[in-house]
Amino acid sequence: MRSRHSLVLAAGLAVLVLSFLASLAFGAVALPIKEVARALAGGDVSGQVHEIAVGLRLPRTASAAAVGAALAVAGVLLQGALANPLASPDVIGVTGGAGFGATLILLAFPDQAPLVPLGALIFGLVAAGIVLTLGSAGPRGGSIERVVLAGIAIAALFGAATTSLMVAYPDRVSSAIGFLAGGLVSDGWSSLETSGPYLAAGFVGAVLLARPLDRLSLGDDLAASLGTSPRRTRLLAGIAAAALAAAAASIAGLLGFLGLIVPHLVRLAAGTATHRFLIPACAIVGAAVLLLGDTLARTVVAPIELPVGPLMVVLGVPWFLWLLRKTA
Amino acid sequence: MPTTLPSTCSSPRAARRGRGVIRSLLFAPAGLIRSLLFASAGLALTAPVASSAVPKRIIALTPYSANTMTLLGVKPIAVGQVSSGEGSVYSAALNTVPRLPLSHPSGPNLEQLTTLKADFVFSSQAWARGKKGMERIGLRVAEREPRTVSEVPRQTKRIASILGRSAQGAKLAKAQEAQIKAATKGIKKHPKVLVVLGVGNSPYAFLENSWGGDVVKRAGGTLITAGLKASGGFARISDEAVVARNPDVIIAVPHGAPGDIKKIAAQMRDRPGWRTTNAARTRRIYVSTSNTLLQPISGAGTTIAGVRKILGN
Repeated sequence: MRSRHSLVLAAGLAVLVLSFLASLAFGAVALPIKEVARALAGGDVSGQVHEIAVGLRLPRTASAAAVGAALAVAGVLLQGALANPLASPDVIGVTGGAGFGATLILLAFPDQAPLVPLGALIFGLVAAGIVLTLGSAGPRGGSIERVVLAGIAIAALFGAATTSLMVAYPDRVSSAIGFLAGGLVSDGWSSLETSGPYLAAGFVGAVLLARPLDRLSLGDDLAASLGTSPRRTRLLAGIAAAALAAAAASIAGLLGFLGLIVPHLVRLAAGTATHRFLIPACAIVGAAVLLLGDTLARTVVAPIELPVGPLMVVLGVPWFLWLLRKTA
Repeated sequence: MPTTLPSTCSSPRAARRGRGVIRSLLFAPAGLIRSLLFASAGLALTAPVASSAVPKRIIALTPYSANTMTLLGVKPIAVGQVSSGEGSVYSAALNTVPRLPLSHPSGPNLEQLTTLKADFVFSSQAWARGKKGMERIGLRVAEREPRTVSEVPRQTKRIASILGRSAQGAKLAKAQEAQIKAATKGIKKHPKVLVVLGVGNSPYAFLENSWGGDVVKRAGGTLITAGLKASGGFARISDEAVVARNPDVIIAVPHGAPGDIKKIAAQMRDRPGWRTTNAARTRRIYVSTSNTLLQPISGAGTTIAGVRKILGN
């Protein structure tokens, strides 16, 4: 089993490195790879090459890796904490909240467009905060069902609010489509700077929660007897997942699908549900998958960019179903 | 004219005739069936308006059809509401005409339409999904909105023909052709142009097959999206391509308020990638808060002339 883990990790790392390099090397404009490398190394290149390689591709590649890893880890945390294989950032309302925050700024306050990442982050966290508060309230510190039901209600509420905004500003809807469809943008480092602290806190939290989540998977009573508080673990996992998912949404819009599917892919490939393995492995695979998806989205019909969200669903679902059937 | 149905089919010929009537009924418009049924019940009804009759109560959902009607001497009973830049899209003669709210993608509310007792609607491709609904409530609907500059005089003639004013239409179309010719005459510069729709980090670029793209081309601009095709005429294009194709002029149609223009222009100027373009360096980023690049208003001559000014032609 350990060798299978190592194999999956090694393969994931190899794909991550290759996809990272591919993301830097390929884009809408064909640049010689040597030129790109020289630009990234700070060498002497034309202003145009420098702007494309350093100003656009490098931050986008870093953002794609961070977002992919964040969504996948958020998915693992939620699936573990809620003991629900269908859990993803959508379940705790982050996606709905972030979508509303971004749409509000883009449609109602178009002159404040640079605040979109911040708006998505704040509303994503607010939505998750409401869900987790409602879910952990009540007798015996709430329940998983309460979290899920609160999540569905809050997601519906923010979804309706987003739709209402689109109805109120029908002529401005085009500005929000890119965000709602999900996809990376070339806005330099600004989104990553805004969301960086939340991503860092979420990743650290995820690593610290690996062992408690493993204990939780044995059942609440056994986890408690081993010194892990199920309620506290669920709440902390929810908070870490919310930070990761909201930060990811603020950078790349709504890509919740990744958070659902990558943990399953890794579980199916590695044959394990141990969080101490799943969390780093999902971070690696999530980053690799989004890097590949974004590189494809940028290059398939270049210079037109496809939204990476739908593209990944179209490509990812058949692959996932094949894997599911193979391992059944 | 009251019509009666044969009550029995006493011979094969009559039976064939009867089957023919049934077939006609199956495929007849609802209005005709209603007339036939009422008539067979002994009620005399006036015949429904023939589809070729000149409409009297007309709603124009687009600024182009409303303005063209006005120029032809016919006032619509209502026009489509335009959310932004309205001041510049309807002629002054239409100031008192009721506005009809439109919602994507179906267009006007059918209940509101019913209360207006209209008999004809000039619509556009944008509201194509609402066409069947409008027809179902007995309205005749025609999509008459030019999608290219060269279509403007042609659609003007077709609107005039529907209004029964073909002679005036031909005259107006000729004047529009002359305006377009004058507006496109003597173009010397062909700067590279990027026209974008929306705000935020993923604006859509106008392609050649959009109205705005065609206007820019006519005004002498060379679209940096030339050669790209997408349904609807818009696509999200890569910032790398913007850097590489280096537009001399960027025109943004953000759907913002006029007060936002400076802020939006500054955001576009500072955008990674775009900041290195000629347009940003020479501060030739223009923000348009009117709808003139999104849809035709009436004759295209004025819009082309406005864009020429921006392009330095």
